[in-house]
Amino acid sequence: MRKPTDRSSIWTSVALCVFTVLLALVTQAAPTRLIDGISVMPTWPLMVIFLWSGLRPHFMPPIVIFAVGLAQDLLTGAPMGVWALSYLVALAVCRFRGEDGMPRDLPPVLLRFGATLLLAHGIAFAAGSFALEQMADLQLLIIELAATMLMFPLLAFLALRNRRPGRSGFIGG
Amino acid sequence: MATRRSTRHDGEQGVRFSRTVFIALLVLSCALIAFDRPQSRSDTFARIRAGFTDLTAPVLELAAQPLRAIKNIGPYFRRQGELAQENADLRQQLIEARYWEDLAYRQRDRIEIYEDALNVDTPATQDRIGAWTVADPRGPFVRARLIGRGAQSGIEDGYPVINLYGLVGRVYETGRHSARVLLLTDLNSRIPVMADRSNARAILVGDNSPFPRLEYVGRAPDIQPGDRIVSSGDDGILPRGLPVGEAVATREGGWRVRLYSDQAPIDFVWVWPYRRVTPPDEEVSTDEAGLLDPEEAGPATAEPVAEAAPVGADSGDEEGRAAVDPEAQP
Repeated sequence: MRKPTDRSSIWTSVALCVFTVLLALVTQAAPTRLIDGISVMPTWPLMVIFLWSGLRPHFMPPIVIFAVGLAQDLLTGAPMGVWALSYLVALAVCRFRGEDGMPRDLPPVLLRFGATLLLAHGIAFAAGSFALEQMADLQLLIIELAATMLMFPLLAFLALRNRRPGRSGFIGG
Repeated sequence: MATRRSTRHDGEQGVRFSRTVFIALLVLSCALIAFDRPQSRSDTFARIRAGFTDLTAPVLELAAQPLRAIKNIGPYFRRQGELAQENADLRQQLIEARYWEDLAYRQRDRIEIYEDALNVDTPATQDRIGAWTVADPRGPFVRARLIGRGAQSGIEDGYPVINLYGLVGRVYETGRHSARVLLLTDLNSRIPVMADRSNARAILVGDNSPFPRLEYVGRAPDIQPGDRIVSSGDDGILPRGLPVGEAVATREGGWRVRLYSDQAPIDFVWVWPYRRVTPPDEEVSTDEAGLLDPEEAGPATAEPVAEAAPVGADSGDEEGRAAVDPEAQP
């Protein structure tokens, strides 16, 4: 039987998950170019989806991943379905499987996220170019990819810091 | 042990991707990509997009508030040491601006006389609608901004958007409380422009770079580096004479434009409710389509432009004019 503290912990996690996803989406669209010199924006929603799908996989079923991708499409003005498709496929291919889910060590998480990021941006580039009927901006995509990879370790460290020691071990799919 | 069981529970039930749902969502994504193309977007998709931006605009507006405050901190401290000199410069500029203000008033009066004579009704620049940028998403697909005013404030698709220095772009998705502005640098942006000095025509084509290209300039274009580029007003998409930027020659022999609007962050913009003024030759073609009584429209001649102007002006019939050009109503 589950203790009341466990239940409240789950609700806290749900609230945190919803909050971080919304924050990532809003940050993605925020007018940060207003601040002098800052014009590069990492793909925050992908980082958040990836981490939650590893920490609490049942919070990130395909429908949620699709919804986050679609929301990003609509917020950024991209053709509908581009980020939804890329997140769905990338997470389906690269998510952590097995009963232990995401490992506690940082390097394997970084490695897996790198693969997810590459796949997601590759699919987004192809799908976006198809929808726009001309080549999307590859240079900007690469800059975005690099910025995301640079920012991810910080988020991953914060996310993995509070994990219980008993969950170590990398069991890949 | 309890912890271990909980983890296993996650592993068995949560990680599993339902294959049916996953495939259904994949198909749905592909369908959306195939049908929601910017070049051939249907009204339904446009409405869905506008509805979503309407929903999110208040949240984005809220998020933009602290960013605006942060933005002003740097310039505020930078300017403190230069205030006296800046004040003197501004006084000098004010004296010079008096002359131009006087000239502008005189030109306005002259234009009003001409417009009365030609029976033309153009919107005044004072009608422009101010709006804050609430979202500035960057991505490889679209260069667009979201502004916090929409159809309820009188904004419609196609209206030009300007900031303090020049043309920023055009409105292309209008919701009730928000609208999306396609920037001049976007891949899909095409604006007819001309050199202010020589009237040499060109099309300003966005390519996601900060300096859009000038295309269709001809073999020997009369453009020089530093020429002021303004909107030409051709095709009536935009009003004539909106400042766009400065011509810059490229190493490859082409031309690009350094945008005036980039001189400052595009946080506050004005939307100009510009309505296309129907050229006289199109009024004639409308008459030929049978919207006006042929007797009222006058006899067809070999010079439709010369004949068309007196139709509205001579008759003095406002109702007849409205039938020819419904958009000309104030």
